[in-house]
Amino acid sequence: MMDRPKVSVIVPVYNAQSHLRQCLDSIMGQTLREIEILCVDDGSTDGSAQILEEYKGCDPRLHVIMQENIGAGAARNRGLAEASGEYLSFLDADDFFEPDMLECAYERAVSGNAQIVVFRSDQYHTEEGVFRDMPWTLRSHALAPYRPMDCRTFTDNVFKVFVGWAWDKLFEREFVLKHGLGFQEQRTSNDLLFVFLAIVLAERIETEERVLAHQRRGTSSSLSNTRDKSWQCFYEALKALRENLIRLGRYQELEQDYINYALHFSLWNLDTLQGEKKKELRRMLKKHWFRELGIAGKREDYFYNKKEYRQYWEIVRGRLPRIISKCSRGIVD
Amino acid sequence: MAKVSVIIPVYNAERYLAECLDSITGQTLKDIEIICISDGSTDRSYDILQKYQEQDSRILLIWRENRGYGYTMNEGIARASGEYIGIVEADDYAALNMYEELYQKAKEYDLDFVKADFYRFKRAQSGSMELACNHLSPDPSDYNKVFNPGENPETLRYIMNTWSGIYKRSFLEKYHIQHNETPGASFQDNGFWFQTFIYGKRGMIVDQPYYRNRRDNPDSSVKSKEKVYCINAEYDYIRGILLKDPALWERFRHMYWFKKYHNYMGTLWRIDEKYREEYLMRFSEELKRGIALGDLVREPFSCNAWNNIRSITEDPKKYYLTRVYPAGMNQKVFEQMQALETENRKLKEEIASIRRSKTFRLGKILLFLPGRLKRMLRRRKR
Repeated sequence: MMDRPKVSVIVPVYNAQSHLRQCLDSIMGQTLREIEILCVDDGSTDGSAQILEEYKGCDPRLHVIMQENIGAGAARNRGLAEASGEYLSFLDADDFFEPDMLECAYERAVSGNAQIVVFRSDQYHTEEGVFRDMPWTLRSHALAPYRPMDCRTFTDNVFKVFVGWAWDKLFEREFVLKHGLGFQEQRTSNDLLFVFLAIVLAERIETEERVLAHQRRGTSSSLSNTRDKSWQCFYEALKALRENLIRLGRYQELEQDYINYALHFSLWNLDTLQGEKKKELRRMLKKHWFRELGIAGKREDYFYNKKEYRQYWEIVRGRLPRIISKCSRGIVD
Repeated sequence: MAKVSVIIPVYNAERYLAECLDSITGQTLKDIEIICISDGSTDRSYDILQKYQEQDSRILLIWRENRGYGYTMNEGIARASGEYIGIVEADDYAALNMYEELYQKAKEYDLDFVKADFYRFKRAQSGSMELACNHLSPDPSDYNKVFNPGENPETLRYIMNTWSGIYKRSFLEKYHIQHNETPGASFQDNGFWFQTFIYGKRGMIVDQPYYRNRRDNPDSSVKSKEKVYCINAEYDYIRGILLKDPALWERFRHMYWFKKYHNYMGTLWRIDEKYREEYLMRFSEELKRGIALGDLVREPFSCNAWNNIRSITEDPKKYYLTRVYPAGMNQKVFEQMQALETENRKLKEEIASIRRSKTFRLGKILLFLPGRLKRMLRRRKR
């Protein structure tokens, strides 16, 4: 019987046969040996299950959990429930990692007694075969040079200092359990709530400036490329985040950051959505969601990014000539 | 129950301890208890404390390993049984009538706290003493009357210190007023002071100086890197307390920034030169954030202070080079830079005046349509 693992790695797998081997090799070859790997097969219909079976045979640290196809959020929750490690790492089957990613992040975590560790990552573009920096995943200028560091010491929007995905972070399991954090059971944006609540609640956050993980871009199976099936998920995530901040009594303090982020994320979703759902999303934002998210009715100076505010105004009022929209904005303000 | 519990946190103060203890044991108010806590002293402080304890049964002596100033103060307050609580630093001392007169005031007006003016002093090698009276408020009409600090954020302008007054113990207990338990001596008195003001209902300041605060102790400057950001951490702690009640934050956030700014400014000049640039960059980031959130506003600040805030947020590097760095810089280069600055400003003004001129505006209007056309054509080509 092994001692308590230092890190539990949770990997939801859904039809990932083309990259699964590289991902598993990358995890099993980590220099940090005291880990457990929980692969949750979310009802794959390709060869993923066979690959998992094959790997399971050669490494006792790998555990395979099967579930019918109910989404990555549910799969991560399943993995979370089964995990026993000191820290949790949530990775995606199509990404790959530096061999000492877990060791480096774990050391950071232990030395700062941290509840969350965030490390730098970059993008790997499959077609061109190049790596691109992602400076926005860790905005160093907004971080405190002293400890303990919690989200109140950030000097930028709390929801934009890091990105709302889970795979470039390590979470202390005890901390996650204490606050009952879980993933939303939906197709995309299922980790946003988990990550941001953790950031808001954490008393000790550490960061690592080295690039430790590589996100694969330009693969057809990646969920973010087929968002037309789940274009409303981001709204559910934002709504749930707001409700939870209110429940925790932190909404008033974070309202301005939240609203700015909600607008930013709504616009990002609109910009990157393709096809006929784009129109539908635009209509929903205009008719309901901007209001329900609290964005509507805020004055211009409430927004950190004026360009985003203008985009918001264009959606609400349509493309008026600039001078007219300027005047009408003036009247409302 | 003693009338006043005097808490003396001691950390390696052998040089000054006797003077301090003489002034407390000799107080004209006899019904006091004296709680001395040595926070991991490594010098002869213990011998001195023990000698005094043998002679005065009112002294309670606690000797233990180092836990930091905040923890020590909290322990002292928890051990105290007096009606009011006073704080004396081991290298300071107090006038003999301090606690008698403050206690009298506190009882007469049923005060949560009462604070007095104080002296800062330096003693030269020759023994001659330099005394300067410090007023808590520049306005004499603020004195000797009951005020409600919790309702009047403006009272946070009073000079900050915790030792020139006494605090009702039941008041501290009711609002769980505690020091931040960070290691060492890290400005934990700021948080305590803030709490007494935001929760206080009945306060008073008196224009009689009693307390003597030493300013010639060579051990009290900030040299180590870990110490540089102590004040930031303390103000994070204070904000955390204010944010527990959104109404409280709303009421005090402007004055919170007023105090924070002045304390950061003080720190900037107190820390070692090699940390100043880095410190200023963080200072700038925090100021910008405060402004973006509407917490930091123009209103409480003097012109001078507000100009500093604007310069630091707009271009911290420049502020560092022109206002902080010259301390150790070549005078000639500095003068050159100043001259260039002035010239730059003049040229900018000139540009602005041209832009404002009628001919420039007329030209702009005349060229508006042709300019548009040209741009459209260019876009077409692409």
